[in-house]
Amino acid sequence: MKVSEKKRTNELRKRSNGSGGVKGFIKKVYKYRAFLLMLAPAVIYTLIFAYYPMTGIVLAFKRYTYAGGIWGSDWNGFENFKFFFKSGQAGLVTRNTVLYNVAFIVINTVVQIAVAILLTEIHNKHYRKITQSIMFLPYFISWVIVGVMAFNIFSSDYGFLNTLIMALGGEKISFYTTPQAWPFIIVFFNLWKGVGYGSVMYLAAIMGIDTSIYEAAAIDGANVFQRIFKVTIPMIMPTTIILFLLSVGGIFKGNFDMFYNLVGNNGLLYNYTDVIDTLTFRALITNSDFGMSAAIGLFQSVLCFITVVCVNKLVGLYDRDATLF
Amino acid sequence: MKKNVKKLAALSMSAALAAGMLAGCGNKEDAGQGGSGGDTSEYVELKMYLLGDRTPDFDEVYGEINNILKEKLNCTISVDFLSWGEHDTKYSLLFAGEEEFDLVFTASSWGHYEQTVSMGGFYPLTEEFVQTYAPDIWKVVPEMAWSQAKIDGVAYMVPNYQNEFGQDVLAVRGDLMAKYGISKITNWDELIAFYKACAADGMYASQGGPWYQYFQGKGYTTTGGGPKSGELILYHTQDANDLSFTYLLDWDGFTDYCHQMKELADLKCWSSDVLNSSDERQTGLLTGRTAGMIWNLGSCKTYAAQANQEHPEWNVTIVDPVAALPKRVQSYINNGVAINVNSRHPERAMMVLNEFYTNPEINDMTRFGIEGKHWEAVGDDQYKVIDESNFGVDSNCNWGWMNAEIKRTEYIENRTPLDDTYDTIMDVWNNNVKPEHIYDGFNFDSTKVATQMAAVDATITTYYDPLVNGLVTDVDKTLDEFRAALETAGIRDIIAELESQAAAYVASRQ
Repeated sequence: MKVSEKKRTNELRKRSNGSGGVKGFIKKVYKYRAFLLMLAPAVIYTLIFAYYPMTGIVLAFKRYTYAGGIWGSDWNGFENFKFFFKSGQAGLVTRNTVLYNVAFIVINTVVQIAVAILLTEIHNKHYRKITQSIMFLPYFISWVIVGVMAFNIFSSDYGFLNTLIMALGGEKISFYTTPQAWPFIIVFFNLWKGVGYGSVMYLAAIMGIDTSIYEAAAIDGANVFQRIFKVTIPMIMPTTIILFLLSVGGIFKGNFDMFYNLVGNNGLLYNYTDVIDTLTFRALITNSDFGMSAAIGLFQSVLCFITVVCVNKLVGLYDRDATLF
Repeated sequence: MKKNVKKLAALSMSAALAAGMLAGCGNKEDAGQGGSGGDTSEYVELKMYLLGDRTPDFDEVYGEINNILKEKLNCTISVDFLSWGEHDTKYSLLFAGEEEFDLVFTASSWGHYEQTVSMGGFYPLTEEFVQTYAPDIWKVVPEMAWSQAKIDGVAYMVPNYQNEFGQDVLAVRGDLMAKYGISKITNWDELIAFYKACAADGMYASQGGPWYQYFQGKGYTTTGGGPKSGELILYHTQDANDLSFTYLLDWDGFTDYCHQMKELADLKCWSSDVLNSSDERQTGLLTGRTAGMIWNLGSCKTYAAQANQEHPEWNVTIVDPVAALPKRVQSYINNGVAINVNSRHPERAMMVLNEFYTNPEINDMTRFGIEGKHWEAVGDDQYKVIDESNFGVDSNCNWGWMNAEIKRTEYIENRTPLDDTYDTIMDVWNNNVKPEHIYDGFNFDSTKVATQMAAVDATITTYYDPLVNGLVTDVDKTLDEFRAALETAGIRDIIAELESQAAAYVASRQ
C-alpha cells in the first residue's frame, strides 16, 4: 500500500471511530437524516435511469420476441453479435469510428482551448459577449437542420458552393459522389457545432486562475505568449485531462445524429463515413431485432470501458491526481 | 423557530422530489378484463393505429363513425397515426413498448407484416374466430387472400379485397415529348430514348434509375419478404412454370442494367445528388425539375392532374413503359388490418373491423368523408367529389378494408384527356391480367437466417443504391466488390433457406 492511501484509510477510520454496529448505524442515519434525504433524489435517479436499465444487457444474449419480452425470451448465446462481423464491414466501421473520434477530440480540444484563451484576452466586454454568443449558437441547432443546410451548401444542382464556383468560372464539384471530401466536412461541422459549448468549460477554468500569478508574471517581464504558454495552459491542464478522459469514454460510439443526417443513405460515401452506429441502424431498421442492437451497444460499451481504464492508467503515470478513478 | 421552518421546508422538498421519482415506477394492472363472446353489453374504447398523417377533417369523420359504432357495437374507436417518415422506426416500438391498442394497419413487407408476425406481435385470426366475430368479412374475402396472409398456416391479418395493379407507370410531360418528337413510350428502348432526349435538353428525366421498369420488362418481380424489399432475389412472374429464383449478382441482366445506368447518369439524366435528396417522389415533376415521375397508376394520375392544374401548358400524361406484358394483380396482403396480440378486446376489435369492411355507410365515410360535405353519391356505385381539400379520397389509410364488392368508382363531370388516358390504361390492364404464378402469394420468413439478413442489410446500401442509379465510377469493379461482400454476409444461406421454404410452400399448395 502506498503512503498516501494509507493516510487516507487511517483518516477514514479515525472519522468513523466511536460508533460501530447496527445501533450506531441507525443513530448516524438519524443524525444525518436531512443530508440523506437531500441525497435521495440523486441516488434514486441514478438507480432508476442508470443502473436498472443496465440489466437490459441480457437482451444481447437473447432471441427477443414481443411475447417473451426482455426476461421471457429464449437465450441464444453470442448469435446476436455474429451479423456485425459477418457484414464484412466491422473492421472498416470500427476504424472509422475511432479515427473520427480521435480527430474530434484532438481538434475540438485544441480549438476550444484556443478560443477560450482568445476570449479572455479580449478586453472589450460587449465584443467578447457577442462573439461568445454567436459561437455558442450552433450548439442549439439540431443535426437534422444541419443536414439540410449541408445539402444546400454542397448539392451539385442548387448548392451554394457550386453556384459560387460556377460564378467564378470554375467546374462544378459533385460533393455527394466524392467520398474523400467528407472527413473534412464532417470534422468541420462537428467543430462548428461544438466549439462554443466546449470552450465554456475552459473559460471557467481560466477564470478560476489566481490573478496574482499573472501579476507576478507581468512583474517578471513575461509577454502575452509567455503568459499563455507558461501560466494559463499549465493551470488548466487538470480540467483538460478530465474532459479528455470523459470524451475518450465514448471513442467507440459514433454520433449517429451527425453521421446519419449528413450522409444519409448515400452508399458512395460509406467507405469514408460509415460508423458503427450507422451500420447497425441500417442492418436492423428493417427487421428491428432488438437483441442484435443490444449486442452492438454492449460491444461498443465494453471497448469504451477498456479504453477508459487504459487511458486513465496512462494519465496516472503522468499525474497521479489527474485521474478519474 | 425560523431555522426550524427552513429545515422543515427543505426536508419536505426533498421528500417530495424523491416521492415524485418513485411515482413513475408503479405497476398498472388496474382495470379488469372486458367482455367476451361477441357480447357488447360493456362499453369499450378501442384504439387503432394507421399510417400517414391526420387530415384536418379526420376527427369529424371518425366522430360520425363512432356514433354508428356506439349504437351498433357499444364501443368507440380512437385513431393515432404513425407518419410516413417515422413508421419504419416506430412500428416495432408500438409492440416492444407494450402500447395499449387494438387494431393496426399492416401490409406485406412495406407495412411490417412478416417482421411483426415473426416477433409474435399480432393476434392469430383462426377461421373460427373470423367466422364468429366477422361473419360478413368471411363471406367477402376470397380464399386466395386468406392463403396469402397465412404464415405457417395461420393468418394474422385481414387482407383487403380489390384488384390493385402492382405495376408502376410514368407520368410524363406531354409538351416535352412533343418537343423531342417522341410520340409514345411503351418499351425499354423508347424509355431510354426519352431519358437521353431529356438529358440532351438539359432537363432531368426522373429522380433516379428506372430499375423496376427494367426487371419488370424482362418478366421478373420481387420476392415477398426477401432481402432489400425482395429486390435482391427475383422470380419470373410472367412464366408460371418457372419455379427458379434469380439472384441479382448471378444475373447478366443486372450487369447490363448497371452499365446502361452508368451511361445515363453520366449524361445527367438525373441529378448526381439523388441519393442524398430528401425530395418526395412527386417533387421533381411538380416543380418542373424533372420531366417525369415513376409511381403507381393512381398516384401518377393524382399528381399529373395537380401538375396540369398548376401548369396547363405541361400537358402531363401517363405512359406505360412495359405495355407489352400482361399485368400482375397485387397480392391482397399489400394492405390489411391486424389485431394487437396484447389487445384486451380482440373480439370487439374484430367486430369493428367487420363494420369498417362491409358496412357501406362506414366504408364510404372512411374513403370519402362526410356525405354532403366532402362528396355526394351518384347512384349506388359512383361518387362525386365536392371538396377534397380537408379529407381526400382514399388518402386516410383506409386501404386495409378496401372491399371490391361495395367500392364506388368516381363520376367525373368534366373529363380531361388525362382521365381518358387513365381509363384506357385501366381497361387494357383489366383485360390483360397475368395468370397467377405460385410465388405471387409466397412470403419468405427470414427468422432462421436473421443474422445473415442483418449482415446483408448492413452491407447492401454501400453498393446497391449507387449501382441502381449509375453513380459509381467503375461498374464492374463495384459489382465484384458487391458480390464478394454479399458472399461474406451469407447470401447463399438466405438463398438456400428461401428455396427450401418455397419448395415447401409449393408442396403445401398442391
